[in-house]
Amino acid sequence: LQVVDDEGRDVTPRPLFRPDPDAAAPKQSQLSASSDDSGATASGFLSACSMHEALGADLPCPSSVSKSNSSTMESVLDEAVKPGSQQDTAASLPDVQVRQEEKKEQLTEEDLDRRVDVYLTETETLWILDMPSVVVSAESEGAGRVLERNRVYADICKNRPGNDRFVEKMMQTINGAAKNKEAQCDRVLVEDKGTVVASWDLYNFFNASEAEPASKAEGSRAPAESSISDTSKEHDQTAAAAPDRGSITPAAVSERAGLARIHKEETCHLEAILRSENFQQDLLFMERILMENIFQPKLAAYRQFPVLTEPAVTSGAGSTVVAAKEAKQEEHDKGEKDKEEQKETRTDPSVLSDLKETSEGNVPPRLERLWAYSCDLTKGHNVSSMARSRVNPDLLAVGYGAFDFKEQKRGLVCCWSLKNPMWPERIFQCEHGVTALDFSAASSSLLAVGLYDGTVAIYDVRSCSSTTVLDSGEHADKHTGPVWQLRWVEQDRGTTEDDKRERLISVSADGRITTWLTWRGLDCKDLMKINRTGSEKKRFPVKKGRKSEPLISQWAAGTCFDFHPKDPDFYLAGTEEGLIHKCSCSCSTRFLETYRGHKGPVYKVAWNPFSTDTFLSCSADWSIILWHQRSQTPLLAFSSTTTVVHDVTWSPKSASVFAAANESRVEIWDLSVSILDPVAARSAEPEAKCTSVLFAGSANCLLVGDSRGGVGVFELQGLAAPSCTKV
Amino acid sequence: AEVEETLKRIQAHKGVIATMVINVEGIPIRTTLDNSTTVQYAGLLTQLTMKARSAVRDIDPQNDLTFLRIRSKKHEIMVAPDKEYLLIVIQNPSE
Repeated sequence: LQVVDDEGRDVTPRPLFRPDPDAAAPKQSQLSASSDDSGATASGFLSACSMHEALGADLPCPSSVSKSNSSTMESVLDEAVKPGSQQDTAASLPDVQVRQEEKKEQLTEEDLDRRVDVYLTETETLWILDMPSVVVSAESEGAGRVLERNRVYADICKNRPGNDRFVEKMMQTINGAAKNKEAQCDRVLVEDKGTVVASWDLYNFFNASEAEPASKAEGSRAPAESSISDTSKEHDQTAAAAPDRGSITPAAVSERAGLARIHKEETCHLEAILRSENFQQDLLFMERILMENIFQPKLAAYRQFPVLTEPAVTSGAGSTVVAAKEAKQEEHDKGEKDKEEQKETRTDPSVLSDLKETSEGNVPPRLERLWAYSCDLTKGHNVSSMARSRVNPDLLAVGYGAFDFKEQKRGLVCCWSLKNPMWPERIFQCEHGVTALDFSAASSSLLAVGLYDGTVAIYDVRSCSSTTVLDSGEHADKHTGPVWQLRWVEQDRGTTEDDKRERLISVSADGRITTWLTWRGLDCKDLMKINRTGSEKKRFPVKKGRKSEPLISQWAAGTCFDFHPKDPDFYLAGTEEGLIHKCSCSCSTRFLETYRGHKGPVYKVAWNPFSTDTFLSCSADWSIILWHQRSQTPLLAFSSTTTVVHDVTWSPKSASVFAAANESRVEIWDLSVSILDPVAARSAEPEAKCTSVLFAGSANCLLVGDSRGGVGVFELQGLAAPSCTKV
Repeated sequence: AEVEETLKRIQAHKGVIATMVINVEGIPIRTTLDNSTTVQYAGLLTQLTMKARSAVRDIDPQNDLTFLRIRSKKHEIMVAPDKEYLLIVIQNPSE
């Protein structure tokens, strides 16, 4: 690296670091070699250097001291100056070097005492920065020129203002026209949303993930919970649309997209609502509640609730009337209470007075009509039989079918509930007229129905369909005559098959009393065949095959039966001949006793539930006869009308009260009051014949079926207090 | 089908002034009143039902509203609420 100034002088800055001259010995030869390459050094020096070499190779490297000796020599640039190299050490005079070296070598202890000559020289000025000044001394050679130049410049400056040679010209940079450009970003929609979260929102939220879709999702309307509230079971297919529907969050984009979808789905959704199960159930409740509104005082009377002004009592009455609907909530009851208080003031005063306790005794006994179970379906049908469900005494099954052979048409069984007197809960259509009904006590939903063609069918009232559970229609041994009576009887005899099991017993016009076994299909077994007995002359059962009279059939048509309330082994059977036989289940060929007294077919026999030795029978000979089981002649006979008595039944409360239904009216007889006349009687509507009667529940109410298809509910008033004594 | 029959029976009952079936947005599905009155009833009763339901569930979140009856001087409004619809019957029971 070499720096040469204008005069060719080598002004390479020398390194600050001066290496040890001793270590520079091998570099000597390099120095010589490089010295040939340079061309910028003074020739004299070159030759001097070559002289060095010539002097010998034993020259040690020049020391730094020797270098400092020569001033001119130092301007000579070493050929190849490398930092730390030894080449620049050769700038000293050879003789000086030699001298130095020699001096160095011979330094010994005696040299210490010798006088040493030290020569000091000044180094060359190192120009580090050279800024030539612009100021020139007035006495230097170039001063004149400079002065001249200055003067000319001053003249120019003076001439400048008005001189044509100087033109001021202004230039302006072109400013581009500024243009404002506005840009607008899409408007950021800002919504304020607030919601009130109730505790059930939280509940919903936490339970929605757990609850299976089958759970009825609460209708949470808070927008925050809209997504949760839509986990509903029924309409999963509209779940996608539901968030849009149910929420009021106006997410603009999704709303537009969803609108089209919503519209389509909503139209079909509306229809789906009407068909949904919930809707049907709600309709049912609504109807019942309407009914309750309409019939409320009557229903309260039925229940024997005094309709008083005390809120506690009335709400009790109201809630019991509607009872068994666990779905009713507090709102309902509260509304109920208020409504009843209001109703109080508007209730017909006559009804009020009637509803007071009848223990006053001033009111003569009468039947007060409360309401009637009837609807369009049943109009025109003859009520043939009624049965109360054993489990729920408010549930009434009514069978519709004609008694006469000529009037046969399709029959009907309707189950009526107290909650809706205007439309039955269940309707079962039957092929033939229904002639007998009974609810099972063991399995409370089974209803046995006997038909005019002899079929015994069993329905399950839990289902709405008209299909029977069991049917004896194709049975080989089915009855060939109308089944006039059916009863489920508890048998607790200890036989193997049917101990403690309920059996269905039926009696029919073909003279057989049969037991139907209901496990493994319907199977029957005859309990008894009613033999025809001859006229009164013969006091003993006729043997089979005895041909004293031409007989169409050997068997007498049975029309009714009743099992002894205490001992299920005995039963009474009434026949079309007018005879009543006492039979036993264990003996199927002969009767134990025969009671003669009636002159026409016996339509009903009934044991007195309290004094169990007596029983009643009613027949087509316009009379009702009271018997004692040990005497073969009647105890008492009641005949108050000239019409056929279709039905008679004892009151469940009182031992001396019974009700009878004949074709023109319903009668209540109280034997403790009078044995000649009925205590209370109520005429049936014109053209309607009362055909069956039943005491209702625990209340003093009577259900009367008539031939026009209505079942009237009557309240008994003014009856004496019940007694359990024997007649 | 059966639903239609039941609805007809309800409408024919003694004292029933009006029957309405409304969906959650207040759009009447079935109604026996004129449109403006129906819409008015719908709006008011949905709000009331929501409030009633909220009240019931606030007390016990596992409970839910099943029926609502409002007895007024002139008649009684009965509302059967559901998640998707409202069944409203107005009856005058003293007829």
